[in-house]
Amino acid sequence: MPKLTINGIAVEVPNGATVLQACQLAGVEVPHFCFHERLAIAGNCRMCLVEQEKAPKPIAACAMPAADNMVILTESERARKARKGVMEFLLINHPLDCPICDQGGECDLQDQAMAYGFDRGRYLENKRAVKDKDFGPLVETSMNRCIHCTRCVRFIGDVAGVADLGGIGRGENMEIDTFVGKALESELSGNIIDLCPVGALTSKPYAFAARPWELRKTESVDVLDAVGSNIRIDSRGPAVLRILPRLHEDVNEEWISDKTRFAVDGLAKRRLDKPYLRRAGKLVEASWQDAFNLIATRLNGVAGSKIAAIAGDLADAEAMMALKDLMAALGSSNIDCRQDGAALDPSNRAGYLFNTTIAGIEQADACVLIGTNPRVEAAIMNARLRKRWLQGGFRVAAFGPKLDLTFPVTSLGAGPEGFADRAREFLKDAKNPMIVVGQGALRRKDGAAILAAARDLADGVGAVREGWNGFNVLHLAAARVGGLDLGFVPGSGGRDVAGILAGAEKGEIDFVYLLGADEIDMNHLGRAFVVYQGSHGDAGAARADVVLPGAAYTEKDATYVNTEGRVQLARRAVFPPGEAREDWSILRALSGVVGKILPYDSLAALRAQMAKTYPTFLGVDHVPQAAWGPFGKSGALDPAPFVYPVADFYRTDMISRASPTMAECAAVKSASSQPKTGTHG
Amino acid sequence: MATMDRNAYSLLLAEITSGLWLTLKYMFKQPVTVNYPYEKGPLSPRFRGEHALRRYANGEERCIACKLCEAVCPALAITIEAEPRDDGSRRTTRYDIDMTKCIYCGFCQEACPVDAIVEGPNFEFAAETREELFYNKEKLLSNGDRWEAEIANNIALDAPYR
Amino acid sequence: MADFLRNFGLPTVILVAEILAIIVPLLLAVAYLTFAERKVLAAAQLRKGPNVVGPFGLFQPLADGLKLLMKETVIPTGANRGVFIAAPILTFVLSLIAWAVIPFDDGMVIANINVGILYLFAISSLGVYGIIMAGWSSNSKYAFLGALRAAAQMVSYEVSMGFVMVSVLLCVGSLNLSAIVEAQRTVWFALPLLPMFIVFFISTLAETNRSPFDLVEGESELVAGFFVEYSSMTFALFYLGEYANMILMSAMTTVLFLGGWLAPFGWMPFTGALGHVWSMFWFFAKIAFVLFCFLWVRATMPRFRYDQLMRLGWKVFLPLSLFWLVATAGFLVTFGLLPGQG
Repeated sequence: MPKLTINGIAVEVPNGATVLQACQLAGVEVPHFCFHERLAIAGNCRMCLVEQEKAPKPIAACAMPAADNMVILTESERARKARKGVMEFLLINHPLDCPICDQGGECDLQDQAMAYGFDRGRYLENKRAVKDKDFGPLVETSMNRCIHCTRCVRFIGDVAGVADLGGIGRGENMEIDTFVGKALESELSGNIIDLCPVGALTSKPYAFAARPWELRKTESVDVLDAVGSNIRIDSRGPAVLRILPRLHEDVNEEWISDKTRFAVDGLAKRRLDKPYLRRAGKLVEASWQDAFNLIATRLNGVAGSKIAAIAGDLADAEAMMALKDLMAALGSSNIDCRQDGAALDPSNRAGYLFNTTIAGIEQADACVLIGTNPRVEAAIMNARLRKRWLQGGFRVAAFGPKLDLTFPVTSLGAGPEGFADRAREFLKDAKNPMIVVGQGALRRKDGAAILAAARDLADGVGAVREGWNGFNVLHLAAARVGGLDLGFVPGSGGRDVAGILAGAEKGEIDFVYLLGADEIDMNHLGRAFVVYQGSHGDAGAARADVVLPGAAYTEKDATYVNTEGRVQLARRAVFPPGEAREDWSILRALSGVVGKILPYDSLAALRAQMAKTYPTFLGVDHVPQAAWGPFGKSGALDPAPFVYPVADFYRTDMISRASPTMAECAAVKSASSQPKTGTHG
Repeated sequence: MATMDRNAYSLLLAEITSGLWLTLKYMFKQPVTVNYPYEKGPLSPRFRGEHALRRYANGEERCIACKLCEAVCPALAITIEAEPRDDGSRRTTRYDIDMTKCIYCGFCQEACPVDAIVEGPNFEFAAETREELFYNKEKLLSNGDRWEAEIANNIALDAPYR
Repeated sequence: MADFLRNFGLPTVILVAEILAIIVPLLLAVAYLTFAERKVLAAAQLRKGPNVVGPFGLFQPLADGLKLLMKETVIPTGANRGVFIAAPILTFVLSLIAWAVIPFDDGMVIANINVGILYLFAISSLGVYGIIMAGWSSNSKYAFLGALRAAAQMVSYEVSMGFVMVSVLLCVGSLNLSAIVEAQRTVWFALPLLPMFIVFFISTLAETNRSPFDLVEGESELVAGFFVEYSSMTFALFYLGEYANMILMSAMTTVLFLGGWLAPFGWMPFTGALGHVWSMFWFFAKIAFVLFCFLWVRATMPRFRYDQLMRLGWKVFLPLSLFWLVATAGFLVTFGLLPGQG
């Protein structure tokens, strides 16, 4: 624990801390560009020069380990002069095109030039001109502005784990480029936009759209995967313009995946902004009253057993709660939130949670993945696995087809053949073993058996003990854990999704309520009367007889539970378009029309009721250890290979499917994954 | 004595006489009236009149959609929307000034890094309806084309003081 | 028939011609007095005044008249229609008929009656009725207040005006206006009776409701005073009446104090018809000078407050004119200069 003095303030810092971190602990600001606390230290921008007593030259604070009895001066004449000189050097080749730069207003270089720079240029020679690079459809480059901090190179290489970016040339001739001019192939590439301290890397879809000072900032959570990344929604007027990560050390640190960041343009496309009714085979616009009246007419006299409801992947807990209560009032127990038919067991909470927690991955030393590809299913989770792997002493193995997770993975077989033995063998020496069961495994017919086998394995290798639970289920949908917590599953004698579809096809189900459920096979709904409530015109709306426009996740105050079981609140950034409304309020209004009034008139009342009935919703942003217990159903395992559930990272739900940017990314991805022919290049 | 003085003063109508004398003198002074529509007063090069968006000599519009004018406008009279043009350059798709909101403070032209938005010497843009005073980009650019010579001259005259 | 024509027809025709010969130029003069007023005020305020309609704006009065003529006469619902319409006519007519006794030159007068000055005094006193009628019949508080003020003001100043006239009459010994003019061959009464002249001039300002005594109109408090509700030609008649009254009062001032048609120092280079023209020129020139003084005062003075107005009338002018009347009489009697005494 070295003790040192910074500007006369004595501080004691942890071992291995740098002078820069010591300064931050002392509350002294040291300007810097290349240093980033989650990236490797490079020390190449020189902006953090400070004076150390008795040192012949100024030192780079970010690269100098803090040592005992150091005396650091950050505001001495020498340090000041050094900084000013470095800033002038950085600006020699910087184009000063702030007015047309998207970084303008939130630019580190701009801010620090204001604070530490010189107010005019003394450099009359021509500036360096660098050809812009093509980083793909997400990242716009303007390489004249680059100051060679190499944050992007270090992020893509270390955190994202794809060796796609590098510096070419030396000194003034250095350029950042992808290897052989290809697009970035990372699910996390958007983060280099945030990392870039200047405007060299900016968001392509957001190009020139707005200025930071015009935006209204709303802190919310992401729902496009089950990680529940914390995000900041930047909106102007009625439009969400961009999404940025928000720091949450236990979930997403400060990264978000490209889908989370760039699918925002899907929020403006294919939106349902009015109720629709199907008349003579066509959907026609209608009023809320007409839609509700039609639903009430169709529900009149229908037995509860002939009514069913399915909740989709983006449904919020409040809406599911309201729908569940409405169905109960109508006498139906045919409800299910597992629209992919995964064999998730709602009876034991530990049986469907990522019990280790995302932050807990860093304590693990071995991991077995069963039918899951975390790189596309939960890119942030994969970054955490890679972070753990980089720290050393971490082995990963997988059941399933070959995987590229940006770190080495031992393949234990494409299918569950010999599952128990091979996994036990792999995990036997591990102190903190992890078992991750993916939806690719649970969706299979033998899903329940795999779940039971994985549970047995966890017990067998000591993965579950006081203070450590190595059994994990990795979800894909933000709504799933919330739905299971709420018990949005068939009641006694109720039908699950497969049962509902079969019943509808046979005419045993007359009325199906789809709460944003688009991933079921609509062809099996038969002649049932289908009500679709959701935000986008996707598969469900195409089949529906009545469409009720709901709100997307940026348009409502809602509760989501991520795969860890972490309850998080999404907040409204903009209002729903047109006549669309928040989902729970639609259900509340409908309950009045059908004569089964739900007992809550406000979101607060609904949440109070929810917390009372399901106490897990009380602790927001809190992950209690779930009690271990029996779940799953032992049975024979089908040796067929696992199929990973996410084929296309960029298009997994109705929002990302509506997004033109995501479509472009998917097109680029599929083009680059085509095998190259002999005449190529 | 003072009382007598005062009474004499008032009895001889001295104040009224001096007042009348003053008005009489003024009657023979040169009127200051400017015969407005036919003759106009002198304008400073810094005069802040009707707005205009300028172009470069090659016809390219100057405005680069940096939105600094929108940000600085104290009356929130300016509305800008931008997107990349086909050649990738940053351009406005919409540049509106509500001339009824504008307070003609000139901050927009102070803020403009490329001298694109300027307040020209024209102050005769009265209109019969409010709608005519909601200027759009097209109107502002045409103003720029019409007043370019005067505006350029004014900027050149004021340049030594900036 | 011929006799009839000779005895009655011809005099009637001549009379009508004489009346027209006075009224037409008079109305023209009124029109251009408004023009002159605007020009004089403009000059005093370093402006140009009307200069757009016609050369130097000379057609401006015609344009104004035309405008007023074209406008709609609005009669308020609550107004007493008959009185409302009669008031401006009365005002206008009164301002015209006084001209019957004004001598333009020796013998050039329509009615050379021996009580001319009494007639004038009577007519100008009647003017207050037009104002009272207008104010009352408008059924508007502004108009009514304006009319009350006007009545009080005109009545107050007539008292001192009467005394001033009496002091002039003492010096003349006749009520005939031509005789008054002739009495000034040696010296214009403005000089020996200078304080009375000033009191008379100021009283005429008050009598014609001119600035600084125009609180009858008092824009800032009464909108436009007694003729708030008038528009179009009814308004124009008031307007004409007011300005005709100004000219009349100027003529009276000229006759009483400035020697009427007499050229200064008896300077009379012409005889015959040219002599008449010469005399009339001086008469008009003097009227014009007095009118200029009206405008000049308006350009200089701010409006009096009502109590100041009353104080000036009753507590300054009345004692002053009374004292001067006694002084004049005493002087005349003492030195035996009273006309008809010697």
